Amino acid sequence: MTTATAAAIPAAKRSISEDISTLTVVANGEVFGLPIQTVQTIFRISSLAPVPMGPPDVAGLVNLRGKIVTAVSLRRRLKMENDLVETNALAIGIEHKGEYFCLVVDRVGEVLALDESKKIPIPPHFDPERLRLTTEFYRIGSMLIPVLDVGALFDFAK
Amino acid sequence: MDELLRDFIVETNQHLEEAATQLVLFERDPTDASLIAKIFRLVHTIKGTCSFLGLTRLQHIAHAGETMIGELRNGAAPTQTSVTVVLAAIDRIKQIVEDVERNGVEPEGDDTEMIKQLDAQAAILAASLKGEAPAEAAPASAPAATVEAAASAPVEAAPVAAAPVAPKPAAPKAPAPAANKGSAPANARSSETIRVAVDAIERMMQLVSELVLTRNQLLELTRHRQDDTVKSPLQRLSSLTTDLQDAVMRARMQPVERLYANLPRLIRELATECGKKIDLITEGADTELDRQLIEILRDPLTHMIRNSADHGLEGPAERAAAGKPETGEIRVAASHEAGQITITIADDGRGLDIEKIKKKLVANGTASEAELAKLSEDEIFKFIFAPGFSTAKTVTNVSGRGVGMDVVRSNIESIGGSISLQSKLGKGTKFSMRIPLTLAIAPALIVEASGQRFALPQHAVVEAVGVGQNSGHVIDKVQNALVLRLREEVVPVIDMSEVLGLAESEHDNNEQLVVIMRVGGESFGVIVDKVADVQEVVVKPLSASLAHLKVFTGHTILGDGSVVLILDPGGLAMSIGIEKSGDKKREVKKDNAAADKTRLVLFRAGEGAVKVLPVSLIARIEMVEPSRIEHADGRLTMIHQDRLMPLVPVGSTHFDTSRSYPVLVITDGDLTVGLLVDEIVDIIEETLDVQLSSGGYDTIGAAVIRGHAVEFIDVTSYLQGVASSMTRKKPTSRSQVLLVHNDAFAREFLSPMLAAAGYRVTAASSGKEALNFIDQGSQVDAVVTSTELGEVSSNELVTAVRRNHLMREIPVIGLIGEEEADNDADTTELTMRVQASDRQSLLSALSSTLKAMRRAEKRSASKSNNEEAA
Repeated sequence: MTTATAAAIPAAKRSISEDISTLTVVANGEVFGLPIQTVQTIFRISSLAPVPMGPPDVAGLVNLRGKIVTAVSLRRRLKMENDLVETNALAIGIEHKGEYFCLVVDRVGEVLALDESKKIPIPPHFDPERLRLTTEFYRIGSMLIPVLDVGALFDFAK
Repeated sequence: MDELLRDFIVETNQHLEEAATQLVLFERDPTDASLIAKIFRLVHTIKGTCSFLGLTRLQHIAHAGETMIGELRNGAAPTQTSVTVVLAAIDRIKQIVEDVERNGVEPEGDDTEMIKQLDAQAAILAASLKGEAPAEAAPASAPAATVEAAASAPVEAAPVAAAPVAPKPAAPKAPAPAANKGSAPANARSSETIRVAVDAIERMMQLVSELVLTRNQLLELTRHRQDDTVKSPLQRLSSLTTDLQDAVMRARMQPVERLYANLPRLIRELATECGKKIDLITEGADTELDRQLIEILRDPLTHMIRNSADHGLEGPAERAAAGKPETGEIRVAASHEAGQITITIADDGRGLDIEKIKKKLVANGTASEAELAKLSEDEIFKFIFAPGFSTAKTVTNVSGRGVGMDVVRSNIESIGGSISLQSKLGKGTKFSMRIPLTLAIAPALIVEASGQRFALPQHAVVEAVGVGQNSGHVIDKVQNALVLRLREEVVPVIDMSEVLGLAESEHDNNEQLVVIMRVGGESFGVIVDKVADVQEVVVKPLSASLAHLKVFTGHTILGDGSVVLILDPGGLAMSIGIEKSGDKKREVKKDNAAADKTRLVLFRAGEGAVKVLPVSLIARIEMVEPSRIEHADGRLTMIHQDRLMPLVPVGSTHFDTSRSYPVLVITDGDLTVGLLVDEIVDIIEETLDVQLSSGGYDTIGAAVIRGHAVEFIDVTSYLQGVASSMTRKKPTSRSQVLLVHNDAFAREFLSPMLAAAGYRVTAASSGKEALNFIDQGSQVDAVVTSTELGEVSSNELVTAVRRNHLMREIPVIGLIGEEEADNDADTTELTMRVQASDRQSLLSALSSTLKAMRRAEKRSASKSNNEEAA
């Protein structure tokens, strides 16, 4: 059984003129941004059913209020060390191409408003594997926030 | 797409289906005016909506169709051509509607030909109406254009007019379409139904499942509390939830009627194609089942009806000759029984011809006549469901393209159903399909492996057997593959943890369960740690990113809220190489039916050909770790069942301590020896035809198995070697015994016994074979023979043996049956006669006569020596 700790965040309507908001998440000490309009709910995973022979980044299946959700570990997806997914982990529910996913993260941060002026070009020396999963980079104060590409995150096509 | 257009498409499709069905019914019973009135109304509605939506192509066809049907409604007798033309028009409309559905606009196309045909038919009908009942022609008031056309085609009209159909008096009154409203109860019903998107129902289903879970949690929480204020509302909540679940389930259900809807038309087409007269009777149209199942059943049902019409029913002439009514009957019935739906398809045709099936089976090598003789009729009928089977002499357009009942069977089985048939020659055939009410909910075994739970659909589960030390069943490891011996059957077994790549569970493997499953006629076992529960699970399909996992069909949420994956029995079977291939099935069938086949272990040992031993000689096969093997007294030994067992490498098997070896344990009386071999190749069932040879020290001879030469190991030499070395005796030269017996069982029983007693045994399965052996100049020290050899008598054999001067004195022991015990009249030259069942006597007789012979030899030898000396 899964309990929602935060109410579903209403999906903001995408509009070019508006500032782009992003939800920051933390995995292994690193901060990433998720486009806010993709985020449907944030909850704690209380039990996880592993999927034998499934993609390694898939931590398992979660029952989210009667919906079966595929849990993807952000740590595993980014090839980080210490990729054990603990129960009671925080997960962000995201619907992608009609499928229900959730992204398992360590911590959820605040919602930041991003605008074009804060966007920086993608540093060329970054790991291409990781760049495949990110769309844009923003600089907020001293922080560099890569915004994750939801499409690439949940695409397990071989 | 426009909402209006979408509604139109859904509605039109329904109307078209209905119209086609009604039309076929009307053709059979043209006196039923209400039918044609209904059809007219349907087509009229389509026409009206089309013009409203600006679909001109549809409108024109519908209009022409309406005109023609109008003639029918006015009382004209329908002809086959006219009905065919209307059906074609309905097909065309359907086609266009499909296009509209896809693209939102009418496709380009020319319908003038079709409209011309419709108009021509309308004219013919109008003319026939005029000619037959001129008085009624006036109210019919056919459009002027069609009357003109009628004049141009009076010849065609003539035979139609001859049809002795008197229009009902009600027919002419029909022209007022509005008046018919009251006569259609279906219409009344439709006003009480609404169309709901499937998604909406699925969503309700989901919410209800969630509600059920929450209810269960609440019940669990309050179970131990004595609080009546909570209890009674909770009780109500509980029962309401159950009712709600039931109601939502019901909302997904649809009457079988939907499945029946296009059958009349199918039958009509089949009747024309096959040139037969067929009546269709449908029963239980209001039986409800899950809408998903209705779609899945459509194809198998169509296929079976085609089969019945094409193969089952006879032509009118043949039927008449058999004293049956010319019109054949196909009866499709659905009923609800104990949580399952039974659908039967019965015809009153010629029935299955068992001889024909047998011939076919023999011809394509599925089974031999001897095998078939042992099978009951029902068992033979079951071959109908085997791949590539068709009894029809000629492949017709209608059915019989090789893909047949096997496809139907696998379709039905894939949804957890079963199919069976009954047939009586000359009376007909009846197929029965039993299918679950719904696919969404299925009973499943919740099994546990390596601490993880999975659901196994119960429809594929045969039984669960315990394995381990305290149960009778043992899993053997043969060539790294697991097999379970279960009641004379060897079942391939897979370890769930291994197949799924789960981490090894810590608990000892002493107590496990093997769930025996059956998929497409093949059995296999799955090792699990335990069966935790049996539950009805709500099956949800896997999401797209996991759909490639073939071992799972879906997932579900259990009563306690946890998610489990549902295993696919077919996928599991595939993971161990069981496929739904016909060849394999055939092979297995053959093996079971074969009479004198021996189960053989094929193994490799050192250099040379694959070696073979009958399973009957082997007590056990074990994989032995090198650590268990010890060098003692210059020989290899291991502890086996608390005793020291000598190990003998077979052939040139080289023992090294880096790997495990399969050990074949052979027991004879007190003597147990383990044969160390390199690897087990296979366990097969084959006719063993050993070409006798006096070859190597440890082989009896060679045989050809499945095209490969194998060496038949002489177990005796190993047993003997061990026995003698154990008693610190030098190996003595062993006596060669020729065992002659017709009975394979006796040979298999006696050979190892004689071998264990220290003889080298050559077995011959007939007197003739024994004679050949002797004629080739082979020498033996003794002969043990049955006295009932058949074509070559034991006397002839004895004479032949004695002819060879080297064997003049050897003992020949006759084995006699119980009843011949006192029959001494038959004077034979047998040295001794022993009851076949008395193994002790045989052994003592053999040893005493051999000793006597040896003494005699010695005496004669010393005598000749003396003579020489003299």
